[in-house]
Amino acid sequence: MEYESIKDELLSVADTGLKFAAKRDSSAEFEVYVHYGSVSRVELDQGMVTAKDGAVAGCAVRVAKGKRLGFACASGISTARVKKAVEESLSVVNSVSAEDDKFSGFCDPKKAGRECKFNRNILGVEVDELMRHCQDMTKEARSVDPRVKVVTAECRVLWDSYAVANSRGVQQASRSGSNRCLVYVMSIDGDERKTAYRHDAACDRLLHTEGLGKEAASEAVGQHHAKKLELTSVLPTLWGPEAAAAYVLSSLGQSAHGRAVVEHTSPLCDMMGAAIAGEGFTLVDEGQRPDGLGTEAVDAEGHPQMRNIIVENGILKGFLFNTYYGRLFGVGSTGNCSRGGGPFGTPIPYESVTGISAKALEVSPGTKTHDQLVSSIDGKGILIADDPMGIFHSTMSTGQFSVVANRVYLIEKGSRSYPLQPLSVAGNYYDGFKKLNGVGSNATLGLYGVRSPSLVFDGFTVVG
Amino acid sequence: MIEVLQKAVEYGEKLGAQFVDARYDDLTLRTLERTDDTWKDIQVKSRMGVGITCYVEGVSGYSFTASSTMKEVRAAAQKAFKMARASAPAAELRLPITKGSPSKSAPSDTLRVKIHPSERDLAYKVDLVNRTIEAAREHGANIKNVRGLYGELHGRKIFTNSEGSSVDWNYLVTDMRCFVISKADSGALVIGLEGNGGTFGLEYFESKGNTPEDVGGEAGSRAKEQLKAQPCPAGNLRALIDERLAGVLAHESFGHLSEADFVVTGASPLTNKIGSRLGTPEASILDSGLPDIRKTGGLWVPFDDQGVRGSSTTVLDKGVLLHYLHNRGTAERLSERPTGNSRAVSYVFPPIVRMTNTYFMPGNLSEQEALEKLDTGVYAIQSSGGQVEGNGSFLFIAVRGYWVEHGEIKYPLREVALSGNILELLTRVEGATRDLHIQSGYFGGCGKGDQSPLPVGLGGPKIVIGNVTFGGKA
Repeated sequence: MEYESIKDELLSVADTGLKFAAKRDSSAEFEVYVHYGSVSRVELDQGMVTAKDGAVAGCAVRVAKGKRLGFACASGISTARVKKAVEESLSVVNSVSAEDDKFSGFCDPKKAGRECKFNRNILGVEVDELMRHCQDMTKEARSVDPRVKVVTAECRVLWDSYAVANSRGVQQASRSGSNRCLVYVMSIDGDERKTAYRHDAACDRLLHTEGLGKEAASEAVGQHHAKKLELTSVLPTLWGPEAAAAYVLSSLGQSAHGRAVVEHTSPLCDMMGAAIAGEGFTLVDEGQRPDGLGTEAVDAEGHPQMRNIIVENGILKGFLFNTYYGRLFGVGSTGNCSRGGGPFGTPIPYESVTGISAKALEVSPGTKTHDQLVSSIDGKGILIADDPMGIFHSTMSTGQFSVVANRVYLIEKGSRSYPLQPLSVAGNYYDGFKKLNGVGSNATLGLYGVRSPSLVFDGFTVVG
Repeated sequence: MIEVLQKAVEYGEKLGAQFVDARYDDLTLRTLERTDDTWKDIQVKSRMGVGITCYVEGVSGYSFTASSTMKEVRAAAQKAFKMARASAPAAELRLPITKGSPSKSAPSDTLRVKIHPSERDLAYKVDLVNRTIEAAREHGANIKNVRGLYGELHGRKIFTNSEGSSVDWNYLVTDMRCFVISKADSGALVIGLEGNGGTFGLEYFESKGNTPEDVGGEAGSRAKEQLKAQPCPAGNLRALIDERLAGVLAHESFGHLSEADFVVTGASPLTNKIGSRLGTPEASILDSGLPDIRKTGGLWVPFDDQGVRGSSTTVLDKGVLLHYLHNRGTAERLSERPTGNSRAVSYVFPPIVRMTNTYFMPGNLSEQEALEKLDTGVYAIQSSGGQVEGNGSFLFIAVRGYWVEHGEIKYPLREVALSGNILELLTRVEGATRDLHIQSGYFGGCGKGDQSPLPVGLGGPKIVIGNVTFGGKA
């Protein structure tokens, strides 16, 4: 499979599957999804190399007979495998009487949006170049300090495409690609182990790896001789861009999903138009950003991807929907259908039924620099440098969270002071947004695909 | 299929690989999900494909294909070899595999069950979920949302390698869950959940404590109890943790640190600590691919994805570090025996060092004696997940709990977060109950190396711990 022709080839497979399905049962409505994804990945872990190169390929079929629904998928995109998925989906729908009385059909055809701006030079990156990047990042990190004992560097090139065809006339395809790298550093001083990471990801340019190893190593080394906070108290917390991105993703990034709203598992379900955050807070899901890693022409059921405002100046403005939940809510799809949702997606999307996920959450930057946010904190405060442990194990419904911040510093009298030993930070996500006390100007793309600046929250309990 | 794999191995060797292994999965996965009165998901997945690993100068290259034709499998072998050859010059740490005796499987390696899920139709499984939901409604209160789930995974796994191994066995996992969300008078949402899975036939879901009525009823009751639960106090407190939370602790905190891929690189704080006392004599942790499933529950893993026969490995013996968990390369490097811990989620991924069933060994306390030993503190129950860092620090979320005073349960607590450093925590294990339960299943699992979710088992007895940091209300 080639990038330039992939959409046509997948559309052809999807169309073949749809025609076969229609012949098998003309009374049913079908949707055929076909996916192909290529990945080359190299990891250099303390000199130990692991390398992988392959293509994930598979198909999924949804069938509806009245209000009865069935789903089946199969690895592989040969005609035989697509037919198998069709047959299996029919066997499901024909063997159950269970109905979904809320179902009112698959996605209707609409004009597609745009694909991401993809730099074709990424396709030419070979294994040895990925390896060289890994070696460079490792060398950089190790040169910082002899205490840098463990360095893991990883680079990958991915490109993929999918096509969707359904009985309502949807015949859409999209494709995208990117290159990504990550360097993780552990500095060891006696029994004290300190870690940090840096990363880069882009679809419109080749990787920028220079400086990442050095930055990660410097941050890890700089956390040595951490002191215990020796305090249980309510303190202001400043979440750096990585930490803030994780906070947003695990809270509003989940509770703004249409399913949670329609099924009343989201605390936001009755709050449209209400003030849910400080005035300086605006959150958008940007499914059409030209250089966005989540940008596609259509979503996973063939609906055009869009730009959706979730919160504007603290006011709840919208939710994210696929066709099913959009119709139930009376607003239609927002182009947020996904296969394999959750905060991290999945490398094998065809194995998942359609769900909802944000495509590229962005918190609009404020006016204060990170340093100005630090100096805005009177008395004691806590700086959380990157995503704390447990942030993705909290419950979106209750909003209660309790995390352990490992890379954490004390703020005293408006200045960043010494590093602290890991401490527990607990509170409620939604109370936190209401007590948002500052939004930085330093919006940065985080490891999990959310772009956020630093955020300051009041009211969380800190135990250290 | 074994012939295609054998030819791929020969082809990889012909290209120049010193060692090649090839595996084939043909798995069927079925999921049923009902939310309130709506069937959200009734699906079946066919996961069939081939994965090839070539080793060149102690460096592995991996490729895979969803096709089982000789042409595509050979192409995958060629890609795997190319990746290994291109990567080899950069390697500073090599994990070569020395050829040994071939592994051979027997029909008895597949665990026999009374009612295999393939022997029951979809309507039977739909009924299981319906009964779960109805039971939850019957026992719950102020319910906003109730969700019932059933999952099954089964099929063949075939393996061969340069030693001429011939492994062919059938994987099986079944699972049933129920989640209830209720709304308290204050407007806060609270949750109750119950369920279990493992290598069980469907007869398991008609056994006492595991029927749809038991599972749904328990989830509903727990959500109802949570309506009046209070927030957990913050600070350092004594703790009693239940079997499921003990399992998460064994897996997430200690188990991952004992995985030898973290040890050979020096990333694990357990590096060079074999023979060292790390915990109290009450703390023993095992990993076993062959648990006594009828007695304790769990997951049956008779071979790993490098064809190594499953075994039982005592990792921590009465507080002393005894053994790491290995793939073949790390075992050779550290001169320990292979433990059968090289596993992959599917043919799309290379096998990496993963756990099978990881659990604390039981002690000699009754539940009441454990509460009395706790005296005053938090009894933390069930888990919705956890995370550990390379420095040994951890965080686990207990779904619910109780505040205990002088050995007596006083009132229920809402979601409880426990944190600390595993190596410090092991020195504070004061005792364990006599019971042993291993939790496993189709829903959830281990997410190491972006390979998620891999079914694993985790468990233990109830454990009394002297001092744990609880995140909560100041």
